[in-house]
Amino acid sequence: MSITFEKVSHIYSEGTPYEHLALNEVDLEIQEGKMSAIIGETGSGKSTLVQHLNALLLPSKGKLHILERTIEAGTQPKGLKSLRGDVGLVFQFPEYQLFEETVLKDVAFGPKNFGVSEQDAIEKARKAIHMVGLDSSFEEKSPLELSGGQKRRVAIAGILAMDPKVLVLDEPTAGLDPLGTIQMMELFKELNTKYGKTVLIVTHDMEQVYRYCDRVIVMKEGKVHIHTTVEDFFHDSKACKEMKILPPSMIQMCDLLRENGFAIPEGIHHTSELAEVIASQVVKHG
Amino acid sequence: MGNFTLGRYLPLDSPIHKLDPRAKIMAMLFTLVAIFIPAGWIGYGIIFVVVSIVIIRAKLSFRFIWKSMKPMLIMMIFLLIMNILVLRSGDVLVSIFGFDIYTQAILQTLYIVVRLLLMVMITTCLTATTKPLDMTLGIEDLLKPFEKIHVPAHEIAMLISIALRFIPDLIDETTRIMKAQESRGVDLKEGKIKERIMAILSLIVPLFVSAFQRAEDLANAMEARGYAPGEPRTRYKVLKMTGKDWFFVGCSILLLIGMIVLMRFKV
Repeated sequence: MSITFEKVSHIYSEGTPYEHLALNEVDLEIQEGKMSAIIGETGSGKSTLVQHLNALLLPSKGKLHILERTIEAGTQPKGLKSLRGDVGLVFQFPEYQLFEETVLKDVAFGPKNFGVSEQDAIEKARKAIHMVGLDSSFEEKSPLELSGGQKRRVAIAGILAMDPKVLVLDEPTAGLDPLGTIQMMELFKELNTKYGKTVLIVTHDMEQVYRYCDRVIVMKEGKVHIHTTVEDFFHDSKACKEMKILPPSMIQMCDLLRENGFAIPEGIHHTSELAEVIASQVVKHG
Repeated sequence: MGNFTLGRYLPLDSPIHKLDPRAKIMAMLFTLVAIFIPAGWIGYGIIFVVVSIVIIRAKLSFRFIWKSMKPMLIMMIFLLIMNILVLRSGDVLVSIFGFDIYTQAILQTLYIVVRLLLMVMITTCLTATTKPLDMTLGIEDLLKPFEKIHVPAHEIAMLISIALRFIPDLIDETTRIMKAQESRGVDLKEGKIKERIMAILSLIVPLFVSAFQRAEDLANAMEARGYAPGEPRTRYKVLKMTGKDWFFVGCSILLLIGMIVLMRFKV
């Protein structure tokens, strides 16, 4: 069980003057149980790539293996619905997909579509609403009267309630306040570590990539440019410079400390860890 | 949805494209009236030739015109069948399944079909060669004289241009919401009736919400920039009728007069 792309190309409006090659023979293997970040400039094919994962877009050329299913260009694949239940895709600004009268009903909409009984769907919805940090007083509210950030949470809950094995998020924190951003990212990390879900996040925020993700997939002009671990990616300063990426503040801070005589080990991701290292060394020096 | 050609502007460089939108709208109106004058097959032949010349001068391909007629085809076939079955005059031509088909009915129906085809041809000529914004400017100017009887010419024109401007946005939005709901297991293509109603609802409600949101944002943005309907405004693009434009309109008036003469002749 894994997700692999074999020479997948996607061409929009094939055979018209508006023809556009969005994916160009992409080879990619996404590790199960890991949290991966997809980065790249706008128009590099990130969204197109992501939409192949639950077969919203089908490859123009090439082959895809997703959780024991094979999707090949030119054939009409079967079992798309069950695939969509297994791969939960949260679009950019998902708050626009809310339509039910109450939050609870809207969140339960997904699981009900996949044949879960009314009772179980409500149960799953309650759990999902709780997971995204909303209390039960929201259940009977209309989704339209919530604030932007709350709507976003409800929309994400709508996907979580489907209990997908793979969670794909297209810029899930764009436009959220700083606290909301941290809460949502912590939630995705928890889903990854505690519930063993494979998480894929499209993002522009390098701090998020460094802090939460295990692997980085860099897209460039419809191809996978780099696919490596987060550690290797940010320590390869050539790759970062080439893409005009500033290293995350944590790495900058560690480098600065090293320059000034501190012995800082590699692989520090959290402020508290760094603080401890500094404290121990300050004590050593007296 | 990208294949929809009816009413689409084609950015080409032709003498027809350069004409004043007011001239083109007026010419279209005169020709449309001319179509409804019963001048017989000779009359329709003349109109067809004239419109074809305009299409060739505008560098439009007949394939494009044909494609824009396609959405009308089903309607025309329906009309054809209804008319042939309902009209009962002239001689009985054939009798199928107990239905008598009359010669006059077929003739009448053909008239209607030809009229519809010509109408689509003419309107396509206008929309394919005139930018939507120019068109609304033209409409505004042509409605100006009616402001005396309280026709809000400027408001109507503004309404049309805003509506046109939002069509591509709403199409994008629809595809986006469709994809989002499909990710939540909505099946827009199959399923029981109850499920399909739910599916359509899950598409329409968010679409309405976002359309209202956009409308409000736009209204605020316009107000913030000092827009007030009814106030006198200057224009960035000033339309000017030239000799060529008057010639074009003149030709269409001649066509109309010609049809009237032809009709009198026949009677």
